[in-house]
Amino acid sequence: MKELLYLYCVTKDKPSSCNFEDLGIKAHPIFFSGTYALVSWVSPDDFSEDNLKKHLADMGWVEKNIRLHEKVIEEIMKDQAVLPFKFGTVFENEANVEKLLKTNNIGFKAVLASLDGKEEWGLKIYCNSEYFKDALCAGNERITEIDKEITAAGKGKAYFLKKKKDEIIKDVINEKISEYTKDCFERLKVTAVDTRINKILPKEVTEKKEDMVLNAAFLINNKRIKEFENVLAYLKTKYTDKGLIFDCTGPWPPYNFCKRTHNG
Amino acid sequence: MTAPAHGRRIISVKGHTMDNPIKTLQDKKSYLDLRKQERVTLLEVLDRALTKGVVISGDIVISVADVDLVYLGLKVLLSSVETMERLRGAPIVGPMQEPT
Repeated sequence: MKELLYLYCVTKDKPSSCNFEDLGIKAHPIFFSGTYALVSWVSPDDFSEDNLKKHLADMGWVEKNIRLHEKVIEEIMKDQAVLPFKFGTVFENEANVEKLLKTNNIGFKAVLASLDGKEEWGLKIYCNSEYFKDALCAGNERITEIDKEITAAGKGKAYFLKKKKDEIIKDVINEKISEYTKDCFERLKVTAVDTRINKILPKEVTEKKEDMVLNAAFLINNKRIKEFENVLAYLKTKYTDKGLIFDCTGPWPPYNFCKRTHNG
Repeated sequence: MTAPAHGRRIISVKGHTMDNPIKTLQDKKSYLDLRKQERVTLLEVLDRALTKGVVISGDIVISVADVDLVYLGLKVLLSSVETMERLRGAPIVGPMQEPT
C-alpha cells in the first residue's frame, strides 16, 4: 500500500532542520506562498483511517507516536512560531497538503503572526478538599452557626443537624474552591495575551488522589514570562496552605490558541 | 535548557528520562518520582495533541485522530490491571480495583 503524509505543523519560515535522526523521522517541508507545512511519510499500517482507529485503543502505540508528534513540533518551535496540528492528521499526497495551504493561506498567516513571540503555558490546579476541609471551612459563619445549634440540640435533632452540616460543608468547599481558582485565573490572565479554560479531567485520567479544580492555558508574550512566573509564585504562597496544588508546564506548542475553521 | 522555578520545561524532563535512564537514579524513590513525572507529562501531551491543535475537515484529509481523552484514560487503567492480573495468573477482578 502507498505511503501517507503525516502533517506536524505549519510555519512561516522554512524549518532549519527536517531530519530528526534521534527520533528516526525524516521530514520535509511543503511550500505554498509564504507558508511551510512540515510533513513526513508514514506507513498506512499505522495511519490509514481504519488502522489509526484500531491503534487508538493501544496506549503503547498512542504514547510512542504522540511523543514523536510532540517532539518534532518542539524542535521546530525553538526557532519560530508554529501552528501545531492535531495528532493523526494524515494526507494522501503532496497535492492535498498544498491545497490545504492554499485554501487557508490568509488564515494561517494571520494566526502565525498573532502567535509570533508568544508561548503557551498550562496550569492545572488540584485540590484535596477532604484533607483540607478544616482549613477551607475555618471561620465560616454558616458552619459556626450550625455547630452552635448542634451543641444545643437534643440527640435526635443533632443527628439531622449533622447531616445538614455535611451538606453545608460541601457547599462551602465548592464556593471556596471556585473563589480561589477564579482569583488564580484572573490574576494570571492579566499577564496573558489570551487564555482558555479547558475541561476538568477526572481522577481516572490524572491518576492523582486530588481533584482537578482548574485546567487552563495561557498564551504569554515571551517578554512577560517573568511577570507570569511572579504572579504564579504569589498564588502558590497564598493558596498552598489552603489546599491547592499548582502544576504549571510549558512552553508548549500553542495547541490551545490556533482555533479557527480550516477548510480542506 | 532552562528550568523555571515554577515548572519544568517539558523538553528537559523528557530529555532526562530518555537519555539517561538509569545512570542518574540514586534510589528507588527517585526512580518512582521520575516515572510519575513521565506519566504527568504524557497526560499533558495527550490533553493537548489529542484534543487541541488545528483540525481540518473536508475531503483532502484522510484521518484525524478523534478520541475522547476520558475513554483513553480508562483504557489505560483497564489494560494495566489486566496485565498485572495476568502476570500473577489471578482472575481479573473489578476493573476499577487497585492492584495491590
